[in-house]
Amino acid sequence: MMRELRFMLRDKAVWVWLILAFLFSSVAVTLGMNEINQQRAEISELIELDQSEREVVLGEQSDWGSAAYYTFHLTYDAPSDFAFAAIGQRDVSPWKHRIRMLALEGQIYETDANNPDFALIGRFDFAFIATLIGPLLVILLLFDLRSGEHTAGRLRLIEANCKNPKSLWWSRAALRVGGLALVLCLPLVVAGFLSGTSLGTLVFCIFAVCLYLAFWMALTLWLTPAKRTGAYNLTIMLGVWLLICAVIPASLTQAINRAVPLPDGGDIVLTQREAVNDAWDLPRDATYDPFMERHPELDAYRGWDSDAFEWKWYYAFQQVGDQVAEPLSQAYREGRKKRDKVAGLASLISPASLLQRTLEGMSKTDMKSAMAYESDVRDYHAQLRAWYYPRMFKSEDYDAEMANRSLPDFRSSTRMGE
Amino acid sequence: MSLSLTIAKEEWRQWRRSRLAMLSLIVFSLLLIFTTLLTLVEAQEARHQRLHQQKQAEQTFMDQPDRHPHRMVHYGHYVFRAPPPLAIFDPGVDAVTGQSMFLEGHRQNSAMFADARAEAHTGGFGSLSPAKIYHFFLPLLIIALGHGVILREREARTLGPLLSQGVSGTRLYCGKFLALTALIAVLSLPALFSVFAASLKGEGLAIGLALYGAHLIYLFIWASLALLVSVATRSRGLALGVLLAVWVVTVLVVPRIGVTSASASIPTEGKILTDMRMNDDLRKLGDGHNASDPAFTKLRADTLAKYGVDKVEDLPVNYRGVVASASEEKLTKTLNEYAEKRLTREAAQAAHLSAYSWVSPYLAVSGASRNFAGTDLATHHRFMREAEVLRYEFVQGLNKAHVEKLSYEDDLNRNKGEEGWRKARIDAANWQVLNDFRFAPDTSAARAERALPQIFALLVWLLALMGAGLFTARRLKP
Repeated sequence: MMRELRFMLRDKAVWVWLILAFLFSSVAVTLGMNEINQQRAEISELIELDQSEREVVLGEQSDWGSAAYYTFHLTYDAPSDFAFAAIGQRDVSPWKHRIRMLALEGQIYETDANNPDFALIGRFDFAFIATLIGPLLVILLLFDLRSGEHTAGRLRLIEANCKNPKSLWWSRAALRVGGLALVLCLPLVVAGFLSGTSLGTLVFCIFAVCLYLAFWMALTLWLTPAKRTGAYNLTIMLGVWLLICAVIPASLTQAINRAVPLPDGGDIVLTQREAVNDAWDLPRDATYDPFMERHPELDAYRGWDSDAFEWKWYYAFQQVGDQVAEPLSQAYREGRKKRDKVAGLASLISPASLLQRTLEGMSKTDMKSAMAYESDVRDYHAQLRAWYYPRMFKSEDYDAEMANRSLPDFRSSTRMGE
Repeated sequence: MSLSLTIAKEEWRQWRRSRLAMLSLIVFSLLLIFTTLLTLVEAQEARHQRLHQQKQAEQTFMDQPDRHPHRMVHYGHYVFRAPPPLAIFDPGVDAVTGQSMFLEGHRQNSAMFADARAEAHTGGFGSLSPAKIYHFFLPLLIIALGHGVILREREARTLGPLLSQGVSGTRLYCGKFLALTALIAVLSLPALFSVFAASLKGEGLAIGLALYGAHLIYLFIWASLALLVSVATRSRGLALGVLLAVWVVTVLVVPRIGVTSASASIPTEGKILTDMRMNDDLRKLGDGHNASDPAFTKLRADTLAKYGVDKVEDLPVNYRGVVASASEEKLTKTLNEYAEKRLTREAAQAAHLSAYSWVSPYLAVSGASRNFAGTDLATHHRFMREAEVLRYEFVQGLNKAHVEKLSYEDDLNRNKGEEGWRKARIDAANWQVLNDFRFAPDTSAARAERALPQIFALLVWLLALMGAGLFTARRLKP
């Protein structure tokens, strides 16, 4: 084995590819950590601004209704300690929202998106290096392993000199791919320690990457016979790479999107808008009836206390707007969930998708985490309503200081606080 | 010329005899044809749907009953961006930006429902479009078929006899180039099809052909690169390795590094952060819903002076409407200031990124392709600007009706019982202030102008590579 190692290290091409791999991986984790640090910094700046702003705004109000109307609440999805490895959905799905107590369906689809040109090209993160570049490097390291010896006329000699030629090639290949895995994962481990990633996550991630590279090693050894030329073998393997890394994932996405249709997002918002706006002209009970079904404890406070506009009615029809749009919104969420579930199953036959999804899953940057965040926002919005409704309906006296102290806090109210 | 043709013909014969070459050619052609048709169908569907939604949104707005005008300001309106005809070739930023936007008073919203957020996520390179296949993957086919054109002769030891028979290196280069030209011509047919299909849907043929031309240049860049490496190296394995490394670096690595570099040197500020910073400014402007907000003291005095009366009740117009209109104007000015800052910054980032075109022809061609197709960032920005103009126009139209058509007294009493409710309304005919919105791509000339720098970069790449190839080929030795 040592002899094989020395042998490998004498091959200049191997050095080139391994150094390149190390460079790519180092740059990728560095950029990933940068990005995550930036997101963290933005979140803490937002938290500060949000608190000071709310204090000011609450102080300016004189009743619960306008307090709820004018105060925004920041929600956010803090990146995990492994998010640097796969930015994933954080590039396309929102990870921060500012919401207020109006109909949520009109707010939750807003996105604070990055430059679209960037999202189009994608990230240089570890997941990209591992899933797409990694296989190419395996191919480049192995395509000429046997055919090269064959062309040089040494193949027979080598195979005649050992008991089991097959195991010789496997161990040579394993040595190279092992080296590749090492240089790819080394920067990851360093970055992991710097970011406080749990050891279990790191180990599992390395295991997944090694397994994936081993798959590519087996595939390459299988598809690159000695008697073909190196160029032929490389061309074939490029085709295989293209198939596994581009065509299959794209076809799966296409097929799943067709098979699991979603309601048009625009319809949700339109439905909600119509419901909210129609309510102004409807008899009050048309709003209060569906509202009280969800809040029977407030039924006693339906009464119209004054001649003027009443905030409690206003918020009631905001909620009814959400209720009317609920079936559509639910279907939209279920559809996305189902698409993600099917994609998860489908990725079992698409190794590139499987690794990508696994890495994103570990980084909590997958669709599931994005949807979990959305549902946190929904929960939090519900808590805001639960907090304001009794005060509004029972016409309690406004108390800005108390509001500041005891309004539900997003962090402590969701899984963030776990 | 005839000699070059003979050389090219020989090369074609070699490809035809090679099962691998034929197989890759067929696979790529099928992939291209399939993707072209699929993208065509999808873009057409999206186009019809959005045009329909737009008409419907306008109809719904007009159909609203008599109301208080400010209710309509909050009722708002939707605009949709239908994909341009050439989106059947390059959907561009459409998938990541979202194509519908809600317009309402006092706020500028962002586009909603980007496809990328709801699609099944399977990694890889995302969904395929003809443009993506041309930009990403056809270079691989050209590398696979082109890296060996000279090396094959060298390895078969036919290079020596050829050169000694008086075929100059330059001639050989031209012949092989011709062979690759035919390959590119065949592979470019699906793009040509998309161009014609788009021209049937109202796209200019010239701009379509320009798009096609840009892709030809790009493919020729890869052909001349393959040829250069084939001339300059001694073994196929090495040639393929070098070409592949160039592909990985210029197509996969540099663009992504460019993105990071652009966002690091021109940091983006998220919309929420901007909004919060803006809030301080906005609070100074006062709340347009509250006519007694101290911020409007001057407006009040000015309005009273203008009409020569002492009390707002005596004004011939509705003072609450005057406040709404004035505050919307000031607010919009501030909103636009911040929005423009954001858009300018995004454009600057895009410019920074496209400077990497000099290192990566991939960035040049993908940028030019979006420019030509009208699916680029600049078009998206124009969509947002035009939507904002529409928003401001209808909101101010409604505010004007608020000032002129609704009496101040009725307005004040709007919450006083059923009677008050009914009186504080204006006729639904006033909803006609809403203009039709049909987002159209820029003129061909404007789009071509935006693509010019990228085309220039592509041409420089092509000429440099061809020059280097010819130079090396002239000194070709067996």
